[in-house]
Amino acid sequence: MKIKEQDLKNISLLSKIKIDEETSNSLIKDLESILTMVNKMDELDTTKINPLTHPIENTQTMREDIEKKDFEREKLQELSKEKDSGFYLTPKVIE
Amino acid sequence: MSLNNWQPVIGLEVHVQLATKTKLFSSSPVAFGAEPNTQASEIDLGLPGVLPVLNKEAISHALKFGCAINAEISEKVIFARKNYFYPDLPKGYQISQLDDPIVGKGSVEIKVGEKSKIIGVTRAHLEEDAGKSIHDLYSNNSAIDLNRAGTCLLEIVSEPDLSSAEEAVEYLKKIHSIVTFLGISDGDMSQGSMRCDANVSVKRPGDQKLGTRTELKNINSFKFVEKAIIFEIDRQIKKLEKGEEIFQETRLYDSKKNLTRSMRSKEEANDYRYFPEPDLIPIKISKDQIADVRKSLPELPEIMKERFMNSYDLSDDNAELVTINKETASFFEDVLSYEVSPKNVVNWITGDLFALLNKHDTNISESKVTPKHIAEIIQNIEDQKISGPSAKKLLEMIWSEGGEVQDLIRKEGLEQISNDDEIEKILDEVISENQKQFEQLKSGKDRLQGFFVGQVMKKTAGSASPQVVNKLLKDKLSK
Amino acid sequence: MSELINLSLTDQILGLANKSFSSKEITEAYLNEIKKKKTLNCFISVFEEESKEKALLADENIAKNKVRPLEGIPIAHKDIFCIKDKKTTCGSKMLSNFISPYSSEVFSKLNNAGTITLGKTNMDEFAMGSSNETSFYGNVLNPINEKLSPGGSSGGSAAAVRANLCSFATATDTGGSIRQPASFCGVTGIKPTYGRVSRWGMIAFASSLDQAGIIAKNAKDAAIALKYMSGFDQKDSTSLNEEVKDLQKEVDADQEHIIGIPKEIIENIKNDHVRDSFRNAISILEEDGAKIVEINLPHIEYSLPAYYVIAPAECSANLARYDGIRFGHRSDSASSLEDLYVNSRTEGFGKEVKNRIFIGTFCLSAGYYDAFYNKALKVRNLIKSDFDEAFKKVSSIAMPTCSNSSFELGSISDPVEMYEQDIYTIPANLAGLPALSIPSGTAEEMPIGLQLIGNYLEEGKILNLANKFQKLTDFHEFK
Repeated sequence: MKIKEQDLKNISLLSKIKIDEETSNSLIKDLESILTMVNKMDELDTTKINPLTHPIENTQTMREDIEKKDFEREKLQELSKEKDSGFYLTPKVIE
Repeated sequence: MSLNNWQPVIGLEVHVQLATKTKLFSSSPVAFGAEPNTQASEIDLGLPGVLPVLNKEAISHALKFGCAINAEISEKVIFARKNYFYPDLPKGYQISQLDDPIVGKGSVEIKVGEKSKIIGVTRAHLEEDAGKSIHDLYSNNSAIDLNRAGTCLLEIVSEPDLSSAEEAVEYLKKIHSIVTFLGISDGDMSQGSMRCDANVSVKRPGDQKLGTRTELKNINSFKFVEKAIIFEIDRQIKKLEKGEEIFQETRLYDSKKNLTRSMRSKEEANDYRYFPEPDLIPIKISKDQIADVRKSLPELPEIMKERFMNSYDLSDDNAELVTINKETASFFEDVLSYEVSPKNVVNWITGDLFALLNKHDTNISESKVTPKHIAEIIQNIEDQKISGPSAKKLLEMIWSEGGEVQDLIRKEGLEQISNDDEIEKILDEVISENQKQFEQLKSGKDRLQGFFVGQVMKKTAGSASPQVVNKLLKDKLSK
Repeated sequence: MSELINLSLTDQILGLANKSFSSKEITEAYLNEIKKKKTLNCFISVFEEESKEKALLADENIAKNKVRPLEGIPIAHKDIFCIKDKKTTCGSKMLSNFISPYSSEVFSKLNNAGTITLGKTNMDEFAMGSSNETSFYGNVLNPINEKLSPGGSSGGSAAAVRANLCSFATATDTGGSIRQPASFCGVTGIKPTYGRVSRWGMIAFASSLDQAGIIAKNAKDAAIALKYMSGFDQKDSTSLNEEVKDLQKEVDADQEHIIGIPKEIIENIKNDHVRDSFRNAISILEEDGAKIVEINLPHIEYSLPAYYVIAPAECSANLARYDGIRFGHRSDSASSLEDLYVNSRTEGFGKEVKNRIFIGTFCLSAGYYDAFYNKALKVRNLIKSDFDEAFKKVSSIAMPTCSNSSFELGSISDPVEMYEQDIYTIPANLAGLPALSIPSGTAEEMPIGLQLIGNYLEEGKILNLANKFQKLTDFHEFK
């Protein structure tokens, strides 16, 4: 299966990861090799088969609508580099 | 606005924030107005290793809505990941529903003027809300508040069955009325607990093919829904008549300038790559469960309205007014338990009481004037013991100072003078003090009638019965 | 004192109970050994001071006879399990500064059982890899031959157990990441039924495949450790609400075994040593009384392609939360939001992780979802059905763990060749079945493993069979 430059651009945009000139060739090669292996599935006729998302569906877990506030904003925000007055900060976005 | 032989086609997507105490997938509190990020737990922040657990109450609310609009209910609640990047979406995906919405096809009935119309609801599904990005607090940064991230939303999608801005507003009001009656949301558009996006396009009547549609966002009141849609229909028609194309895009409604403008969309050309949520096992909904929900539904607005029209002989409009929400309907029926005329009750509630509530920015459920107060006031009026103007004064007094109706009438001397002789005496006084005007009235200047009534009211500090004054005055004029 | 580090878990528990030695002694012995074998690079973090303090407390408890099941036993956790107030890196630059504000359920359960955490073991970045060569913290070396790979992604845990740096270590298995390193290092590794152990606080790679498990010196030890790690957790919606059997009792019980040998796999083993040792293992078990039955797993060869769509797809969404905004690596060069995302993620992730995100994104993208992702889910269903059918006839299924023994670090650069390391381990992950690996011989002078797969919740059964094998052989003994 062939991967085009446009496919790489699209993947890069959707995943928010840069693909630079140098690595794009070897990346195409790697991806094509993986997708060729994956295409083996085409040998199987699965038209009458249902997709299986969860191997086991026995337990149905839900939660009561009861408030629990066992976290501290200050402690959680220690994890972030850029914050102010309780907000998380990012570069300015123009909508 | 002239439609020039164009037919608007409108569909509304209404996001209703469910009235649960906690979020959809975490136990974080959801009260409006908290300090930024004080209601965002590890789960809401999407920290490494966290997992979602579904809020039972959200399912219950969604099922109530589904039953109320006679919709198909899904057998299993299956969630899906909608993938895109934005700072107010901590996990980089939103847990939503795609192919198996909990509520399937249903419908609601709306009324525009005298005409009724059935509007189809395509689906309603559960999803978590995103947080808030604030772009104007800092000069070089955007500020992210994740308090709202993860709160329960029910997204209700209508069929494109709406043909005018007016119909759109009626549909929105209907949805609002249903969700508030069911108690599943407070439907407050100003606080964002109900948000509306509109999909608008136009076509030639008779055309099967729909025109290109635009999506309108940032509409946060019923009034703006109407204005935004009117503007957009007009904009599209003008463009098409010039021979130009309509671009499929998202447009923001600017309420200050009353126009829609193209949005630098964060989700432009986004491929959401939906796939089933692996962290949540599909929850089975049994037919018994649905039957239980159906049985436990409160009386819905239309049914209640019909009942009021039939049982209390109310007009359509009046019935509509008192069933505007559950609290008002309940207040109305409480007043009626005191045996007063329903028509009078409607007038007092929707007239003076509403005005008072508005003035003090209070909900009817927190009214300082109780159903008993209203009932007693009306009884006194019906018995002609107090006049209309006195009653209004009473209402204000009860609101500001409290007290019992009978006590206040006595204390303030509001008892109406209905005794014909007493009033006639005062009327004669007024006539003698205003001979010229009386002659003018006699010779046909009818509007002076009010002047005389007014003078009598003044002399009696409002406690004369205006009906009696008018009657006596008429007698005198005809002599 | 160096003999202490050679003891099995079972013997350590006995020894501490008999007061033959103290927790202090054994903890210090391990800490010294960890220092001595630093070049193996098994640990990303070592908690020296804290371990010594905890050991003293454990000894106090033992003196008072206030003994929890694993009181004073030093262990290691794969650096994928969050521990409150400690660094959890997941082998990645992206989380090199991440100090978790909460603890994983795995850590909490074992901690509450009395264990002492010596440190966090090295691993392939974000659990993606089969050789422990993708860690930001450098390769882990195989203790038996330091030029060779210990396997991955739980290379650090497997090597640590082999090198006598702890009696057991926690690990995770998504496509074979416990069993394959166990095989390469000549130790015992078990991945339980999907949902048997809580994933709360276990950093997600592929949510429907990830499962926590144990690497230990033998089946009896693994049974004990797994017993205290397992159980229903409300915080994980995929956690099974099923009683945890007493694995410690079951591992030694008198049980009958019917072992299924999959025709499709056995016929295609290329490596002579692997084939011979497998046949040898089966005949040993047969002689001991197990019944051997040939079974079919007709779709087994499609496990690899299905896995390499499903796992990358789920991982592409699970890793979307890493953007530097709320935690984790944040790029210094971020003048726009787009830059912040792209630079933080490009700088923070290694090559293999990026490749898998790319593949996953591609397989979910518009136009490819049906051909890849949905197709893979259907193939998954076929593979699960194959197993369901087989388990009607047998109580466990046997096959080699890997098609070869360990390879030289740096010798495999073709991604597909690396992925094929997991060809025998992946099927059990797709079906969610419990599976383990025990040493069963050598190939090219390095250990190879026998894999046993059980039916749902039959961890006890395969541990029992593994224990039987280990009573009859000495492959699992460190020489």
